Order: sequence, then C-alpha cells, then structure tokens
Amino acid sequence: MQIRVALFAHLSRFQPDGEAGREPRVFELPEGTTVGAVIESLGLPDEPRVLFVNGRHAEEGTVLSEGDRLAIFPPVAGG
Amino acid sequence: MKRDLLRVNMSDLSITREPLPEGWHRYGGRALTDAIVFSEVPPDADPLGPDNVLVFSPGLLGGTSAPNGGRISVGAKSPLTGGIKESNSGGQAAHALARIGIGAVIVSGKPADPLARYCLVIEADGSASLQRVDEWAGLGNYELADEIAATRPEGDRYATIQTGPAGEAGAKAAGIAISDPKGYPNRFAGRGGLGSVMGSKGLKAIVISDKGLPYTEHADKDAFQAALKRFASALKEHAVTGQALPTYGTNVLTNILSEAGGLPTRNFSEGSFEKADDVGGERQRETILARGGHEHHGCHTGCTIQCSRYWMDKDGHYKTKGPEYETVWSFGADCGIGDLDEIADLDRACGNLGLDTIEMGATMAVYMDSGKLAFGDAKGALAALLSGAEGGEPGRVLWDGALATGKAFGVAHIPVVKSQALPAYDPRPVMGIGVTYATSPQGADHTAGYTITANILSVGGNVDPLKPEGQAELSKNLQIATAMLDSVGLCIFVAFAVLDIPDAFTAIHDMVEAHTGDPWDPDALMQLGKETLVFERLFNEKAGFTSADDRLPGFFKTVPLPPHNIVFQVTDEDLDSVFDFVPETAAQMGVS
Ligand code: SF4
Repeated sequence: MQIRVALFAHLSRFQPDGEAGREPRVFELPEGTTVGAVIESLGLPDEPRVLFVNGRHAEEGTVLSEGDRLAIFPPVAGG
Repeated sequence: MKRDLLRVNMSDLSITREPLPEGWHRYGGRALTDAIVFSEVPPDADPLGPDNVLVFSPGLLGGTSAPNGGRISVGAKSPLTGGIKESNSGGQAAHALARIGIGAVIVSGKPADPLARYCLVIEADGSASLQRVDEWAGLGNYELADEIAATRPEGDRYATIQTGPAGEAGAKAAGIAISDPKGYPNRFAGRGGLGSVMGSKGLKAIVISDKGLPYTEHADKDAFQAALKRFASALKEHAVTGQALPTYGTNVLTNILSEAGGLPTRNFSEGSFEKADDVGGERQRETILARGGHEHHGCHTGCTIQCSRYWMDKDGHYKTKGPEYETVWSFGADCGIGDLDEIADLDRACGNLGLDTIEMGATMAVYMDSGKLAFGDAKGALAALLSGAEGGEPGRVLWDGALATGKAFGVAHIPVVKSQALPAYDPRPVMGIGVTYATSPQGADHTAGYTITANILSVGGNVDPLKPEGQAELSKNLQIATAMLDSVGLCIFVAFAVLDIPDAFTAIHDMVEAHTGDPWDPDALMQLGKETLVFERLFNEKAGFTSADDRLPGFFKTVPLPPHNIVFQVTDEDLDSVFDFVPETAAQMGVS
C-alpha cells in the first residue's frame, strides 16, 4: 500500500531523501504497518511527539491503510 | 514590596499618588485592573466617556528577575464588547512601573478640548507630569516613538505606552502599543478597543523611565532566588518552552492547526489552508535567517522562553515583529493570503495605526466574504485598511471590527462572541476552545483558557477535540489558571511547562511568597484566579450580560466544517457550568 508521510519542525530532516521540507513523501509499505513502525524506520529521536493520521490524533499502535496521510510533529505550542 | 496607585485625572489634569488599599494587596496585574474597574466604573458608563477608567498594572512579580514575569495588564470597560476588558501585553512597561513602586496607573476623566493631546511622563524618581503634545495628534506608533525619543535625555532607559491614529479616532478595534526592549512600539494590549479608551482621554502616550533603578526588593531574597532557579529550569527542560517556541516562535502552530483541520480559513469556511506551510513557523524562520533578522528574543527583559522575532523586508530592514501566529492566521489563512511579506505589510500597517491584528484580520475576512474584495487580495486589503486614516470608507467601518463590518456589508457568518472576533482556532473541530470563546467574560479570546494544549498539542494531558465531553471542565480549569498567571504577571506561555512539570507550579507560589512576604500556596493561587474572574463576571452581569451572551454564533452549531465535517456540540448546560464557582467565591470576597 502507499501512504504519505509529512514531518514538521526539526523532524523534517529525518525524511529518507535527506531533503527536509514539510511536503509529504510517498512510502510503499506492507499492509498492516503501524505508525510506530514508520517512526522506527525513519529513525526519529526518542522524544515526545504528536501524531496525526488523516488529521485525527493517532497512536504508535494505529494501523495505517492505503492512501493515509501520516503527519508527525515534535511538541509545539504558541498562541 | 511597596506598591502605590498613581491616579491621573484627565478632566482637571491632576496627578496623585496613594498607597494600594489594604484589601487589594494580594492583587496585581489582571486581578488589580479588574478590582479597580469593578469598583470605580459604573457598568452603564460610556466606554469613551469621562466615567470610564483606563488601568495599567504590572503583575505581582513585575520588576523582579522572575523568568517571564514582566507582563502588563491593561483594563477598562471595553468599547468593543461593552463588558469589562483586560488586555495583556509584553514590553518593558511593567518592569519600569514596578521598579518605581507603582502597582497601577489609573487614568480617569476626559479633557474638555477634544483636540488636546497629552503625554504622561513618569520619571525614575517617581515624579509624574502631564505634558501638552497637540502636535503629536495623528502620529502613527513608529513616528510617535521617534518623537518621544527626541524628548529624552541621552542614555535614558524608558518604556512607552502609546495609542495610534485608530485610537484617536475612537475605533473599536484600536489597541495600545507598548515598547519592547529595543524601543520598538510593537507589543500590544490589542484586544477590545482599549486604544480608543486611551484616545478618548486625550492621552497619546505614557513614558516611564526606570534608568538606574534596581530590581524590586524581595521579602526573602535567598528563598526567591532558590524558587526562581527551579522555575527557570522547568522552562528550559520542557520541549515547548525550551525548544519549539524559541526556535520557531508562536507561528509554529500554523502547520499543526491546519493538519488538525482547525485552522479557520476564508472566514471560517474551511479548517485547513492549502498554503499553510508557505506562511508557517518553519518557513518564517528560514526566511528571517536568510534576511539577517532576529530569530529569537524576549518581548521584555527577563523572558527566558524568547518566542519573539523581527521580520525583515527583502532588503534586510526591520518591518515588524513576528508576525505572530494569530496575525499570520488572521491575515493569512482567514483572508486566503499565502505570502509572509504580504502578511507582514498588513501587520506593520496595523501596528502603526494602532489596530488589533486579530480583530482586523478577522474583519478583513468578513469583508472579503461580502464579495467586496476577493479572498487572497492582499493589496486590496492593505488599501482598505489604510483608507480609514482619513476617515474614508471602507476603512472607518472596518476599524470598528468584524461585527460592525459584517452588519454593514450583510455577511451571514460573523464569527464573534460578545462582539469580539474569534481568534485562530475553529471551535467545531477544537471544541474546548469553543467553550472558552463562548464563556470568557472577555469575549472570544483564546488566551483566556487555552484548551489547544490538551485538545491539539498533547500538553497537560489529552482531551479529544472532536468530542464535546470534558471540554467545559478543561476550559474552566484553564480560565482560572490563566487569570492567576495574568495577575502574577507571568507570560501564559509558562503554562506549557507548568501543566506538565508539577514543580514549576510550586515554584510560582514560592516565588510570590518570597517576593511579597505573604504566605502563598496552591489553593491561594487558584483562589486569586477565581476572584479575578468573579470581578469580571459580576461587572458583565451588571452591564447587562446574560447566559445568552455565553454562546457561539449559530452557524457553528449548524454548518459543518471541512475536512472533519463537524459542528460544535458542547451543550448549553455545559457552557453554563463553567462559572458555577462564582456565587460561592463572590460570597467569600464579600462582593455582589
Ligand atoms: S514567551 Fe514570548 S510572549 Fe511570553 S514573555 Fe517571552 S517573548 Fe513575550
């Protein structure tokens, strides 16, 4: 299956192409892949993060489906 | 810690200094401005008439070296909402006032001559005078700052508080500018039209010199330093206050709100903006660095989080601060504008005219929604904004805010509560913030109870933003805590660390206790927040507000917002539960 992965703030440099930038990259993954497995394959630092799948909060155990958009943020805030 | 009230009467031009009344000695900042407005302003007063007062108050920790402890509260009856208003700002003024021993400046009355302009000058030795400055009439905030600088002695250290042409014109969206550590008049007590209260009193500027003055004295210096250290390390340790805010500024929020579908776009008709990343905090940082700008500093000395930054134009010259997230949203996504230079032009124009960027961006989006101007037309927006300067149209209507504009141009969806425009989070996919917008005595105000923390950012727990459950409780607790921080004088951004690190909260009351010499504990801090809100709710009640005013505009409950296609679902009963503590707390305070 194909999903899109977008990484934000200082995490964007962990995109596999090394190009940084916030635009999503297409990932080809086996059915049943979890969010946590993607995080591991990206080698993201072991720190808190905020996860969204299709604009809804997700967990590391969330199972991805064809066409999903996964977005990963470090802890951020403002206002 | 000695604190006085400085009373400035603009009717007879007298200035008197008196000790803070005994009953108010645990109040500072927002609690003190509220207590004064509650006690001294008739609820039916004309906000631009002589019976309104304008109050400036540093928090309890003002003038100290407490991290982020130099915020100022500005209070009055609001010309925009018709209710009580507390507008909070950074800048240097709070520290300067506190170091002179002033707990609040209370400006009352109104000069007989509407063309008269005055500058209140408070010197470091505590002497104060009103100087006639009619020639400053109509000056924009940046030119005004230059004129003030020319009157000051070489090597002076001073802060300014200013109103621009919008405030002099009585515009309901006029804010009050406060100078930052470099002297730029770019920090704002923006919301609620307080700039026009200042203008109505003929008070063009306040200058406060604190040259040579030390930090305010502590009752127990060693205990204060020990508590300060713990507080500072919590701010450093937390990922948001230690890393994200200093690195990217408040605008780091644009991408995450757009991702969550909660970034109001084109007058609250969509929840994600296709150009979010073109105007977000990451792009802002890259551009500022490429142009040689300042990418992080404090809006006042002593701020350790340092979320502020300067935007430079393409030639590397200072243009404006930030722009902050709220401004990038209001003139960006909400107006369909996807270019940071265009947003910075609008921000600069508002800063110079003295207009609240939240209200004005939301207003421009309402104006665009009327079909008079296309979404995304930044040049047209700037021209419309500037047209108000000569009293021209449509600017002079726009300067009165989103409600006035929506009514004048027949717009169906006007996003206001208590006549004040909603800020940068749509209450449909972020239901907690809808509770704050609806119930805050301030009108729609995100800072009053910032539920984005648990709703979106996973700070201080998690409350699903797409469901109505738990939102009223979340908003209530945050509204109380925020009223407390605003009274202590701490920037509310410390809350991101305080919500996750318990010792940071303990350190706050330890700092207040060591500084003031009075006993403080967690309950006392929360009581301070509650008492502050009691003043606000009771004033509004007397001014005619009812539970019908604690509601969102109807379309948020009937028109679903893409991409989640959801409406606001918190019940009226839940909304009415937020201030259930008021009768009991009011009885304890002996006010009604
Ligand atoms: S964190 Fe930002 S808003 Fe708060 S005091 Fe510091 S610079 Fe000002």
